[in-house]
Amino acid sequence: MSTRNIIFIGLLLLGVVIAMVPENTTKPYKLTAEDMLVEVQGAAEMVTADEVAHWLVSKDPSLQLIDVRTPDEFQKYHLEGAINIPISAILKDEYLDYVDQGIMMNVLYSNGTIGSHQAWMILRQLGFENNYVMQGGLNYWFDTIMNPQKPALTSPDEEFAKYDFRKAASAVFGGGSGVALTAPTQTKADKPKVKRKKKKKAPAGGC
Amino acid sequence: MGPLVPQEIIGADWNLLIAFVIGIGFGFVLEQAGFSSSRKLAGMFYGYDTVVLKVFFTGAITAMLGLLFFSLFGWIDLNLIYVNPTFMGSAIVGGVIMGAGFIIGGFCPGTSVCAAAIGKIDAMVFIGGIFLGIFFFAEGFPLLKDFYMSGSMGPLKVSDVLGISGGVMALLVIIAALIMFKLGELAEKRWPREEY
Repeated sequence: MSTRNIIFIGLLLLGVVIAMVPENTTKPYKLTAEDMLVEVQGAAEMVTADEVAHWLVSKDPSLQLIDVRTPDEFQKYHLEGAINIPISAILKDEYLDYVDQGIMMNVLYSNGTIGSHQAWMILRQLGFENNYVMQGGLNYWFDTIMNPQKPALTSPDEEFAKYDFRKAASAVFGGGSGVALTAPTQTKADKPKVKRKKKKKAPAGGC
Repeated sequence: MGPLVPQEIIGADWNLLIAFVIGIGFGFVLEQAGFSSSRKLAGMFYGYDTVVLKVFFTGAITAMLGLLFFSLFGWIDLNLIYVNPTFMGSAIVGGVIMGAGFIIGGFCPGTSVCAAAIGKIDAMVFIGGIFLGIFFFAEGFPLLKDFYMSGSMGPLKVSDVLGISGGVMALLVIIAALIMFKLGELAEKRWPREEY
């Protein structure tokens, strides 16, 4: 057999092999377990209900609320402007553009913190950025923003500032009694840095 | 791990240097394989010499198998590989113009530079033509823009359009290439040319 035929047969065999094996769909994890541990301990993914309320009141255009509860629960009540991505569907292609992007700041929420945090862990493992978790979820949202408790008279001034803001915010969101809206003093937090993804493009070639 | 440049394992500066070295190697091999003769490329059209077909398809198959096996072993993330976006209408018209240019001129852009490097005057004229073409295309771009951008289909892969896996597509391409190699050799026998 000539060398050429041997090469031909070799190429064919390689082709058959590559046609038979399943495509490698395992995306290499972008984060190691150690990286993940550091991130979780740093808790940089957490945003407070007050921060979310402030962004909502100021109509921050980069905020995207994502409700990870079931569609039923979403129908009953959801935060203003939120979209519904149930955690069971979080890996679906149709939502990929929402959860993997570099412009909007996604804030995930569920009833408590657990559901949204589970979703966040999955997304973070895939290497997606700009996803955050609303601490305490909707339960905490109702306790603090919608029905703020008046702090004790001996509380520091910040507590009162917080209370005033919460009362004002709850008026905006349709709870509690109307109070003139004042900007929060203590609750205002720096918006997490929005990172724009680098364009992954190589120069096109030709012959 | 790979691709090395988009993952920034190789920096942008090294990228250019490596491209330069690979480019020199590519030119050297083209010249050594006789591609600096305009008759070689024209022979593909007239059927007396199908080396061009064999070389470029062998190159494509090698790269294709390499990428797929690298991906299988987890050495490269194929999602990060740049895929040229498809503009159907302009791709067809551009292909026809480029193919006609190959036959008339006897060079492709790469081989013309090779041939010019060893002093072939026809190749230098060909390069002049390339620059004229680039100039008029760029100047006339506002007129051509609508057509140029029409039929945008994004970065498409044939395997995705057909709904088959990349591996099956690769096997089909290999089979097609081997059949074409055989047909090419039959053509060489059918339309032989003694001296060129």
